[in-house]
Amino acid sequence: MGAAHWPEVTATLRRALEALCGTLAASALFAIMWLTLVDVTGRKAVSTSVPGSLELTELLMVLVIFAGLPLVSLRGEHVVFDSLDPLLEAGVRRAQGLLVDLLCAAALAGVAWLMWVKAGNMLQYGDTTAQLQIPQGPFVYAMSVLCGVTALVHLLLVLAPATHHHPGVDDAGAAP
Amino acid sequence: MTEALTGFAAVFLLALLRIPLAFAMGFVGFVGLGLMRGWPATSASVAQVVYETGFAYTLSVVPLFILMGNFVARAGLAQELFRAAYAFVGHVRGGLAHATVLACAGFGAICGSSIATAATMSKVAYPSMKKLGYADYLSTGVIAAGGTLGIMIPPSTILVIYGIVTETHIGKLFAAGLLPGLVCALMMMGAIVFITWRDPAAGPAGERSSWRERLLAVRNIWGVALLVVLVLGGIYGGVFTATEGAGIGASGAFFFALARGALTPRKVFSILVESARTTAMLFTILIAAMMFANFVNFTTMPGDLKDWILGQGLPPLAIVGAMMLIYVVLGTIMEELSMVLLTIPVFFPIVVQLGFDPVWFGVLIVLVVQIGLISPPVGMNLFVLNTLLKDVPLTQIFRGVWLFVAALVLALVVVLEFQPLALWLPSYMR
Repeated sequence: MGAAHWPEVTATLRRALEALCGTLAASALFAIMWLTLVDVTGRKAVSTSVPGSLELTELLMVLVIFAGLPLVSLRGEHVVFDSLDPLLEAGVRRAQGLLVDLLCAAALAGVAWLMWVKAGNMLQYGDTTAQLQIPQGPFVYAMSVLCGVTALVHLLLVLAPATHHHPGVDDAGAAP
Repeated sequence: MTEALTGFAAVFLLALLRIPLAFAMGFVGFVGLGLMRGWPATSASVAQVVYETGFAYTLSVVPLFILMGNFVARAGLAQELFRAAYAFVGHVRGGLAHATVLACAGFGAICGSSIATAATMSKVAYPSMKKLGYADYLSTGVIAAGGTLGIMIPPSTILVIYGIVTETHIGKLFAAGLLPGLVCALMMMGAIVFITWRDPAAGPAGERSSWRERLLAVRNIWGVALLVVLVLGGIYGGVFTATEGAGIGASGAFFFALARGALTPRKVFSILVESARTTAMLFTILIAAMMFANFVNFTTMPGDLKDWILGQGLPPLAIVGAMMLIYVVLGTIMEELSMVLLTIPVFFPIVVQLGFDPVWFGVLIVLVVQIGLISPPVGMNLFVLNTLLKDVPLTQIFRGVWLFVAALVLALVVVLEFQPLALWLPSYMR
């Protein structure tokens, strides 16, 4: 595959990530919303709550946060101090962006590895949630894998850099 | 002490090199703790922090409130809030600007983000002000400043995160933000009066609305007013926790937007993903700040600084005042949430030791964040407006905001001097 194909490849990868992680994070968040609604109204109105709703929320939160993370990196939505940008030449800025993405990738890969080890330990000890006895290990593996995916996203950004993006502003999403 | 100061310097340096603040804090926290405690223990503590922050029920309050704000923003409510406010105050000089502040305050009761409030209002209020011949410096100044009401008037992302890291009751923090939020709004309206008195052409009066029109305008917003009363009233009254209230609020906002025909499956999906992204971004900062805090708390700095400051025999209020001064100065160049999270491990123990209420300090923290968000040269709200209103030069935005910075500093002094303003409402909560 020649270098000329990179833009198409990265664009496809981007779309796939947006669809995959987006669906995961969105469904988890929607589920938390409904779960809380049903649980609270159930408890107040007919004094029955959803069994283990607290634990389910915790497991779903893992998905919201860690499936959201690759998308934050992909769109360059992390908080950065970018006020010096106008002072730097384009070439310097590109080199800087490259280094930053490599460093972020390394840091995330480190966290992914730590979580992988932790997940293995938890699985081995048979850690489960208190009420529903759901094993926690697989969810910690999910944290690890999604951190790993985010590390890969930063490597992808080395090839196709993102401009810094402010959530809810640049995509004009905050208002009708 | 030296270790921690080196750590702070390293975070600033890495941030200047354009490394995302979360990664800078996490990296320095990891290396710092690693050098002091050894790498195996540090690695285990990092894994523990990530794990605990990921699996935290109480933290689900963050995405749920974000979701609530995003649903209501898409429902086109901002427009109607603005119209209702205009119907009452539009006929006075600077009426549209006053209406913007009031609409921001109303919007802030649903939305917990300053940036989202400013972004939403810029699309609603700016075109109206432009049409009536408002000076750009006034209209952008008032939108930037009004946007910060989003984080003072509950719900508030900053108060939630402050409550989580300091283990302060989030419901009480929400109750505490209400009156100071109104004081901020009044101060801003004072600034508008002052500006339009100096320069009447900057903000001409609009037409007076009849009482019939006013009632009609109010009728359009009762649904959302009900949602606010249900969510905040429920939390204040102890009917449900902040987390449960956030869930009810998000669902209510969802049904509200659905009933107004503002939602398609595709829109719901994009709102959910956007909320999840904002959540992930905030949690990255939160996790990294906790890693950094673990390092700072392992050094002697918090203890040393506490002993030194308490040993000076200064009046307690002067110490807190000095902290606020540091925040206001730092806030002109730093991103505010990171600034707060970086300094909390050092400042918070001192404030508690001095005998102040953590709830009151939380409100002060929000006020300095508000000021930081609109103070040049690095104020997030100013950049939001610069991005959204391409025709207005940044110099005009900078020029207009100074009086609003002054108004908020005045509000800060009032809340600092007059503690019951923040603590009176929470005192009624169990």
